Amino acid sequence: MKYAVETFDLTKNYGDFTAVDKLKMKIRNKSIFGFLGPNGAGKTTTVKVLTCLALPTSGTATVAGYDILENPNEVRQKIGMIPQMVSLYGDLTVKENIHMCADFYGVPEDLIESRADELMEMMDIKYAENKYVSQLSGGMKQKASVVASLIHQPDILFMDEPTIGLDPTTKRILWNLVEELHSEGRTIILCSHDMYEVELLCDDVGIINNGVLAAFNTPQALKDAMINEQKNVKNSKRSNIAKIVEEIQKEATPEEYAAYDKIKDHAEEENRDTRQLSVIISNLNDELFNQLKNLSITYNITKQSSGRITLDILDSDESVTEVISTIIMNNGIITSISTKDPSLEDVFVKVTAKKKEGGEI
Amino acid sequence: MVETKKLKWIFKKDIMVLWRHKPRLISYLLFPIIMITLFGYGFGGTVTDIPVVIVSQSSGPVTDATINAIKSESLYDVTSIINDPNQGRQMVLNGQDKAAIVLPPNYDDTQSSTPKNVILDIDSSDEIVSSALIPTTQALFSQLSNQIGVQQLQASGLTPSSVSSSTINVLSGNQSTILSNPTTSGINFENIVNSINFQVNKLYGNISYIDFLVPGVLALVILFSCMFGMGESIAGERERGELARLFMTPTSIATVVGGKILSKLVQETGRAILLIAVAIGLFGIVIAGSMLLTLLLLVLVALCFVGLGMMISARVSTQADYQQIIQPITLPMMFLSGVFFPVETMPWIFQKLAYLIPLTYANDALRAVMLKGAGLGAIWLDIVVLLGFTVLFFGLGIRGFNRDI
Repeated sequence: MKYAVETFDLTKNYGDFTAVDKLKMKIRNKSIFGFLGPNGAGKTTTVKVLTCLALPTSGTATVAGYDILENPNEVRQKIGMIPQMVSLYGDLTVKENIHMCADFYGVPEDLIESRADELMEMMDIKYAENKYVSQLSGGMKQKASVVASLIHQPDILFMDEPTIGLDPTTKRILWNLVEELHSEGRTIILCSHDMYEVELLCDDVGIINNGVLAAFNTPQALKDAMINEQKNVKNSKRSNIAKIVEEIQKEATPEEYAAYDKIKDHAEEENRDTRQLSVIISNLNDELFNQLKNLSITYNITKQSSGRITLDILDSDESVTEVISTIIMNNGIITSISTKDPSLEDVFVKVTAKKKEGGEI
Repeated sequence: MVETKKLKWIFKKDIMVLWRHKPRLISYLLFPIIMITLFGYGFGGTVTDIPVVIVSQSSGPVTDATINAIKSESLYDVTSIINDPNQGRQMVLNGQDKAAIVLPPNYDDTQSSTPKNVILDIDSSDEIVSSALIPTTQALFSQLSNQIGVQQLQASGLTPSSVSSSTINVLSGNQSTILSNPTTSGINFENIVNSINFQVNKLYGNISYIDFLVPGVLALVILFSCMFGMGESIAGERERGELARLFMTPTSIATVVGGKILSKLVQETGRAILLIAVAIGLFGIVIAGSMLLTLLLLVLVALCFVGLGMMISARVSTQADYQQIIQPITLPMMFLSGVFFPVETMPWIFQKLAYLIPLTYANDALRAVMLKGAGLGAIWLDIVVLLGFTVLFFGLGIRGFNRDI
């Protein structure tokens, strides 16, 4: 099976509102897929439909090789879900909830105890197995929910914002679990607003906006595409302005020609390819600062009291080398250096910028 | 100190929430209208229009005057006039009429001194009807007796002032009691003045008010428990996301609903047994019919109301909506079903509505078994109707069950 999930014009309407609009998407088997989207974009609705918790209005999908409309029970047997909108029974203990879920999934009786113990140990919840779920904290409830969702060893695990509201330690436990499940060959579909989490864990990322898949690729490819797009936009702007100015200059007087040249230079300067470099120099002094400021590849430079300087430099590998060489030649001591490339968050903001009016899904 | 701005917001918020939940709002407005209509038109005054059959074995002016007198009383609704006492009694036993007023063959014979034995065969399982019908009928015939007696005395040249009282024989089961027996100046006026012997024949013996209430209360307890319970069980679990956990697994709606029904049935049967035990222990009620049949009926009633609760809760997403929606269903049902007021005495529109309510059949069947000692043969129609309602509720409930989370 090449794809764990494949959707075919999947659509879900709530009255007049289209939450998911003819969605076409393929999620590779055994991958960790990050499913992103702004609030109300159709992310949770898509997950509900894929997990057979809601029927699509039209279109269909296959999950684990089974059609969600024709074989919903086979789909349910193959998937697990750590959901936002689902809870365990508050008046049952953690253990009772897990055993109940195991029976609902048809886990053989002799395997339930050992699997439950193993998962509870892994999620660090074993010590609370006899507590009522209603007595647990949010994080503990989430851990118990994870155990209940994995008790039948699903091939595909849907996680809908699983780390929201969790402390950093619990987050790491969940991330480790995701990686472990991935290494066992399971497919993970992770809905999240935490871009760090998605970049850290996911092989592929899909961004849904207004019910439509707006972007789909690996996180790095999405970022690269954004860098290239930014460059292309700037190149195009530069080229267009140059063409217009040259056209005007054909009939200009020498004084006007020089003035138009200045306009062209300014436009080129405004649209040049730059990147941001951040350097911490422990022994930064005015002389070194001025040296860096006067470099031909430096366009903007700011200094902070901590010794950190931020430079906008010409976007080329040589530019970074030139900055480092200058610092070293002036006996500067570099304690930290980083370049600022577009992040997945930048990609997300750009892709989802165009938001039509609509209600919460 | 009350902060007015915040107070205003809290008030405004509650009104806005109610306005935005249309089913809740409709139900909220409908409920008081239904209740006031029921009480205003149905249960606002005394009991009237009790269906009775008159068994007339004689003919003549006295019989005609008596029938007219009965017909003119708003308490009675004379459904038929026949001449066979056994048929009249059977009509009461069948539940067609609440009482049979049996006029004897010598009723029109004003010359004879033989007492006229008027018998009231009454359905004593209906306490409300009995307590209204017996004293009124008794008074009516006492008055008629005096009038006939006065006519006889006048015919004999005597004055009515010499009459002191009337004789009433009240037959209760096998007991007969002479209330008074006057004689004056050596003339036996008894046969003249007290020309009517009025006998009450309680077909199901003496039934106390608590005996009368218990079957209806049992059905009511089951109704409320099932209806409120199913709200928590389905709408509540849906609201908290617990139901979604079950629906994430390869589990059919029928399984989930079946499990909930089973649990509710066990709870309700247990509660019904407890209620019967308490009623027997504390109030000494007697179940005239089969205990097993009573229990089976209670299970069927519970099943029916679980179905009704399930049908409603399957379509709503919050408990608050559910509670508001069932209010205008359950409370009118309580008053229309005959638990407290006889269906036969209600305005015709309410009578028609009563027969669309499962509680009416539950109440009827339970009273028949518990008070009249009826068997399966006598209540089969109630059972069929209850089964029909149950199938309908479950069918609609499962069909309309919203599995979407």
